[in-house]
Amino acid sequence: MISLRNVWIVAERDMRTFLRYKVLLIMRAIWFLAQIALFGLVVNKMLRPDVQDAVGGNYFHFYVAGIVITLLYSTAVFIGYDIFEEADHGVIEYLLSVPISRKELVLGRSIGGGLRSFIYVSPMMLFALYLIGISNPLQLLVAFASLFLFTFGVAGFSITLAVSIKSSDKFDILLGVVDALIVRLSTTLYPIAYMPDYYAALAKFNPLTFAADIFRWGAGIESALITSPWTAVLGIVLFFSMFTFLGIILHEKRIEGGGWQ
Amino acid sequence: MAPIIRTVNLTKKFGSLVAVDHLNLEIEEGEIFGFLGPNGAGKTTTLLMLITVIKPTEGTAYVGPYDVTREPDKARTLIGMAFQEPKLLWVSTPWDVLDWHAKVCGLSSEERRKRVRWALEELGLWNERHKSIHGFSGGMRKRVEIAKILIQRPKIAIVDEPTAQIDIVGKHRIWNMIRTLRDEGSTIILATNELYEADVLSDRVAIIHKGKLLVCDAPKKLKDSILGGDVIEVVLEKEVPSKIVEELKAINRIVDVLAVKPNCLKIYLNQAEEVLPRITEFFMKVHMPVKSIQMSEPSLDDVFVHYTGLTIEEAQKR
Repeated sequence: MISLRNVWIVAERDMRTFLRYKVLLIMRAIWFLAQIALFGLVVNKMLRPDVQDAVGGNYFHFYVAGIVITLLYSTAVFIGYDIFEEADHGVIEYLLSVPISRKELVLGRSIGGGLRSFIYVSPMMLFALYLIGISNPLQLLVAFASLFLFTFGVAGFSITLAVSIKSSDKFDILLGVVDALIVRLSTTLYPIAYMPDYYAALAKFNPLTFAADIFRWGAGIESALITSPWTAVLGIVLFFSMFTFLGIILHEKRIEGGGWQ
Repeated sequence: MAPIIRTVNLTKKFGSLVAVDHLNLEIEEGEIFGFLGPNGAGKTTTLLMLITVIKPTEGTAYVGPYDVTREPDKARTLIGMAFQEPKLLWVSTPWDVLDWHAKVCGLSSEERRKRVRWALEELGLWNERHKSIHGFSGGMRKRVEIAKILIQRPKIAIVDEPTAQIDIVGKHRIWNMIRTLRDEGSTIILATNELYEADVLSDRVAIIHKGKLLVCDAPKKLKDSILGGDVIEVVLEKEVPSKIVEELKAINRIVDVLAVKPNCLKIYLNQAEEVLPRITEFFMKVHMPVKSIQMSEPSLDDVFVHYTGLTIEEAQKR
């Protein structure tokens, strides 16, 4: 049986560790502000009124919501790097030796990796909501709950990749490629309607699309180009379930026995 | 009484390398069990299997009543380990590391604070408790690692090379803490390649080499088991040819002769007082001036040499 106390102890450890990477946290916040203040504002001015209307009246709002999700993704994925850092210092062996089950360990790591990302991005999320405005608090709550699950799913995805690959160099390269594709083949930066069909087919099933569109819906952006909220919620729940489950299985099978590079 | 640890044909292979080879051991509750062997002998691999960090390729081990291959979660509730290499993230502080360890081991917040403070003070780390481990020396990191087990006080405590990188004052302090841990009810498995450490701390010692158990008994019994109750160490002014070593072995009551260094011989013999004049006479006859002669009783070094045919330094080089 899984002890929630143990899961929380593991999650709390990951949150505390994250707070120690002060430079990284400051840099990501600066990146977020630069994306909004520079890229978002300039591109917003470049777009035709019909495009602005299609994305809910203001591309800047559409973009701000998307960039929050990009930040949420990139910080939740950081748990994979933590695993390599720990492998490097032998901390993985230590974690495997403490009196908690493997399931509690990986569940705690997924939750810790997700929760710390959610907490870190929360001020930026609130700033984004301040810029966009809030029209329906209930919708926003649904969106927050979904994004909560989304961050756990991303952390589980990162753990799954890390323990499958066991090489920090390969992980770094692969994550760079995945990052480039998963962000660009989603609706974080632009709506599906403007993508070629073959891109759109992939973007429709991208968890970042679900996350970005549920946040837009939660913030009250009304556009026919946004994924239906229930599809997005379902997509996020599936993503979360799949990678948490996979993470647990792979973690148990692969993390033991060394072989970390 | 049933042993608290029992390994049954415990084996671990890494590809073609057999790190632990059908190991059968029994450790009694409440003893300090020395686990001796050179680097690469299979000590740490055995311990990692006991603590369920790695799975055996063959055989199994019982930690208390729990089979490590079938009930690893339950086995881990009885056992704790201070690793050979400190397992710490550079961004962490000693307080964070130890407080989390105490928490994950199920200590209440009050008990946690008390024990963490006690361990940090005892190990001379209290003033550094909130400093990043990044700036710590090897010895300081090692002390943080040892503190984990002192705080946890598990039923079975594994300490792997507990005093490596620790100065002599610190060594005695840690040895006393290990004894206290045992007195408070823990069974201690002490893995070390420092024979003196094993000798002064252990109730029983097992010597492992190339993954195989060579011998296991109380240090005194092991020392007594060596043929030739006395040891004479002779340092000569020049290198000793192997022919001289063979001639020396032919002297009555000399059991064995080992060249520890090119100009240093260890002679295992009976009734040393009577044989000593003949030995000095022999070296004069073969024109090998003697620099010094020292008589002693066998140590665990000698036991190790006896069972492996190698000095521990030689075994570590191989």
